[in-house]
Amino acid sequence: MTLSIIDTGKFPRLEDMTKSELIQHLKETVKPEEGIIPAYIFSHPKVYELEMEKIFLKSWLFLAHKSEIPNKGDFVTRQMGEHSVIVTHGSDGDIHVLLNVCTHRGMKLCRMDHGNEKSFVCPYHGFNFKNTGDLAGVPFQKEVYGDTLDKSKMGLKEIRHDEYAGLIFATFNEEAVPLDEYLGDIKWYLDLAFNRAEMEVQGPPMKWVVNASWKLGSDNTISDSYHTLVSHGSIAKLGLVPSGDYSKYGYQIYTGNGHGLNLGMPNPHFAFPEELTEEYKERLSPEQWGVLEKLKNMIVCVSPHMMILISSMDFKGKQVSNTSFRLWQPKGPDKIEITQWQIVEKNATKEWKELSNQTNSLTFGASGIFEQDDSENWTDITQNSKGAYHLQENTFFNYTQGMHKKPVDDFVGPGIAYENKFNEANARAFFRNWLDQVTAE
Amino acid sequence: MKEVIELQYEIEQWLYHEAHLLDNLLFDDWLELFDEDCRYRMPLRVNLQEKDVPDFTDDTLLFDDDMETLTLRVDRLKTDLAWAETPPSRTRRNVGNVRIQEYNENQVTVKSNLLLYRSRSTEIGAELVSGERTDRLVKRSGKWRLQERTFIADQTTLGTRNLAIFV
Ligand code: FES
Ligand SMILES: [Fe+2]
Repeated sequence: MTLSIIDTGKFPRLEDMTKSELIQHLKETVKPEEGIIPAYIFSHPKVYELEMEKIFLKSWLFLAHKSEIPNKGDFVTRQMGEHSVIVTHGSDGDIHVLLNVCTHRGMKLCRMDHGNEKSFVCPYHGFNFKNTGDLAGVPFQKEVYGDTLDKSKMGLKEIRHDEYAGLIFATFNEEAVPLDEYLGDIKWYLDLAFNRAEMEVQGPPMKWVVNASWKLGSDNTISDSYHTLVSHGSIAKLGLVPSGDYSKYGYQIYTGNGHGLNLGMPNPHFAFPEELTEEYKERLSPEQWGVLEKLKNMIVCVSPHMMILISSMDFKGKQVSNTSFRLWQPKGPDKIEITQWQIVEKNATKEWKELSNQTNSLTFGASGIFEQDDSENWTDITQNSKGAYHLQENTFFNYTQGMHKKPVDDFVGPGIAYENKFNEANARAFFRNWLDQVTAE
Repeated sequence: MKEVIELQYEIEQWLYHEAHLLDNLLFDDWLELFDEDCRYRMPLRVNLQEKDVPDFTDDTLLFDDDMETLTLRVDRLKTDLAWAETPPSRTRRNVGNVRIQEYNENQVTVKSNLLLYRSRSTEIGAELVSGERTDRLVKRSGKWRLQERTFIADQTTLGTRNLAIFV
């Protein structure tokens, strides 16, 4: 057996390692089951490179909600790993995910955030692509190409995609398991957010940039209710939520493939529009309805970088919930573009929609009084994780919370459930999944 | 003519004073500048093809506040647990190109440009927020009060870590 670089006492210069050495180093230093997560994985460019290849080229990635493109011709442009894609509702009635790269010489075809177009004309030389991706026209084709250009082979690259509960996912990986299988048991909980009623996105997503590792967003989402006490202490102090430790009540659940959630319950009040009770009951299973009825909040991580949130608060004399979802879109080893959507029951009253949207702007989103304090933590942790000393000493962070606890077997939903949300079990599971992905051959 | 020049001066001074209060963290005094029945909103700027339609949308609001929620935000900043602004950012609001759109004795609609520089901690990278304000001021007992502010940023993706600051 060869000595690990840590044992040899040599400085682990990640830049000089071959890919298999890097993978070996990761296997030796990241020990999720022991709660050992080394600092360098949160900012090192070599790790990021590996993540782009092993995770963002391989996994299903969320792109858009169907209600964003309800009509033929509607489209949105989105980011898929490092690449721009156009998600269209094609004139043929189908959803298409198209690489936003002109097949002539690489110009970015569509520079809009959203719109409705039958076709896209490339700004460079004017190749014209239908919203289904087919190349329809080439200026002066006969003159400049004769008969040598086969337009049928020059369509935009179409990316494999599928949907669940109105959520459109895509993957660059033709070998990936079907989306349904990839999501697995997390679907039970996604239903609470996206299938409880007919849901409608409230506008284009807001975006802002935070200098932080994307993994800090995901690990916070999947496991960290504990930080609420202090990070979001101002909210309890204002009386918007009952007490400092309110956030521990409920369950932490892991459903596999890096997906999991924190479920806050019970809630003495019903946080959803009363008049939609019938719709909820009709669309959800009795067990799911039982959870929704008592739901205070739900924070779901769909690996690698999606967060879904149902949050509720006392607002203008009412218990109001808002449902939002977001991506911790990686933009480099130490940078994310947070992309956040707000979604509401289509059949809710105008008043309810306004209240729900207003509570979302107030609490989450760029100006959200919950959200703000998180960005502060992640920026400084990411910065703190850099540097030679951490590599030399193999500095690691402590993710051991809750290792003495056993899951419960009487929770109604699927997955491994712990009672009391203060636990880092889900973070350990997330990093195990992450490690398996980045070290896969 | 004299009347217009006086009004222009008055409104400019009001805006400078407001910037002074925010830059110096005098949030309670800032809240006093608002009319009880106020709206404070920041629609989302978007990238569109067409030049003839507004390139922002009210469907997504980065701020969607009234007196109650603005007070909440200010009260939060006063707790010692508002980490996003503990310690506070250093901000410098440059307000300019003040253009009065409409006015009568008791009401003024005014557009102005805002360039907000934000510095946090020891970071030397500048976080800038640039955009246009449209304000409606109303006169209450002889004083101008802000009844409605709409701020449209110049970035579609904001280059600041959060909006724990006011625009
Ligand atoms: S690069 Fe698009 S037409 Fe030439
Ligand atoms: Fe948080």
